[in-house]
Amino acid sequence: MLLRPLLQQPRTLTLAASRSTATQLLQRSYHSAEYGTPGHSYSPTETAILSAALHHVPTTGFTKTSLTTGLRELGYPDITLNLFPRGEFDLVKFYLEKQRLNLGALVDFPKIQAEAGLGRLSMTQKIRTLCIERLKANEPVIHKLPEALGLMSLLENIPASVTELAELSDEIWALAGDTSVDTSWYTKRASLGAVYASTELFMTQDRSADFAETWKFLDRRLEDVQSLGKATANIGHYVGFTGNAVLNILRSKNVRLF
Amino acid sequence: RPLTRNERLFLNRALRVNQAGELGANLIYSGQYAVFKSNARLRPLIRHMWDQEIHHLDTFDALLSRHRVRPTAMRPIWNVAGYALGLGTALLGEKAAMACTEAVETEIGTHYNNQLRVLLGMLKEEPGMFQGLGEEGGELRRLVETIREFRDDELEHLDTAVEHDARKAEGYEILHHLIRGGCKAAIFVSERV
Repeated sequence: MLLRPLLQQPRTLTLAASRSTATQLLQRSYHSAEYGTPGHSYSPTETAILSAALHHVPTTGFTKTSLTTGLRELGYPDITLNLFPRGEFDLVKFYLEKQRLNLGALVDFPKIQAEAGLGRLSMTQKIRTLCIERLKANEPVIHKLPEALGLMSLLENIPASVTELAELSDEIWALAGDTSVDTSWYTKRASLGAVYASTELFMTQDRSADFAETWKFLDRRLEDVQSLGKATANIGHYVGFTGNAVLNILRSKNVRLF
Repeated sequence: RPLTRNERLFLNRALRVNQAGELGANLIYSGQYAVFKSNARLRPLIRHMWDQEIHHLDTFDALLSRHRVRPTAMRPIWNVAGYALGLGTALLGEKAAMACTEAVETEIGTHYNNQLRVLLGMLKEEPGMFQGLGEEGGELRRLVETIREFRDDELEHLDTAVEHDARKAEGYEILHHLIRGGCKAAIFVSERV
């Protein structure tokens, strides 16, 4: 596994190479109603080829075979495979991007609220719904997903995989209506990323009917996050009260610090 | 026309660093206020400047959440550093506090001017961009107007600080250059991290 980077072709200074170093870390995201959101990180030609290849993933998996079949369908020569220096991982990344960009279209909260007759959905319920929809979208390729997860965990692919997880986490929170712009921005996304990644891993091994166990697993993880949040808030309160008490004691001894 | 990658990068960084800057200014004023609460002359002055900074911060908070821009990860550090700077310079004396304000506002004024230069450069190349597309048109134009207004506010704070004997502070030269250097470093880091 560690020899793979040595055996791969040397990277040339193209746009593709700069993408694969994955130094973005959400630096370029600027969403606007006017100028649109940043979409795929692949060019139109690459998107067409990868979309065609995705159709074959349920049968031939996230492999060069799927890529080649997709290429041939669109009439490109086999050498076009060199457009993707990261090989199968480009197919995985494209799949992840596609599912992420699709998520907004899959979930329509006003409609869900109207159907369920609820007043307003809580943040946790929205997050739960969004996670479930995103996981359900994995169902057609779930039997090939362990392969994809393996590719994502290769050393040279880890930065891009982590970036993609972070972007998905950001997308889910944004769709749930989160407007925080302070340190909680980071804690929320980090915790959701961990929850989602563990649930997806669980899902690949789940054999229950309709993935019922996966949804229960998700619920347990979300509960964990909530209880952690409460614990942290409680600790914060305790420290605050104790600090206040100390200051008051000092004041009573005529030592005015604040 | 749609935004290019570099333009998105610029806007992303600009909004992030502006929010960080306004947060820093807020904390500096709150630190100074903590010391000058009992000073009849300075208290209303600092309170007024602080309230304007609060308004600036709220505006940028709203912009960041609307455009889904990542806030700076250095926020906890800026929280401590900003408050310490305000408190420290206020403890050094009234004139030192004003000198700190002057240095920070000078740096912020320069920074906003640089951003305006880039945005207006975009306008010069593509006049159509500022008319805006669709119903939500004029997003960039509104951004330019906001930054202009805030820059004018900051320069007003600068003038106020100078009026209140900022330049007569002990060790003015050192304080001024140290704080301006610190601001430049903070701006550089907040744009990226």
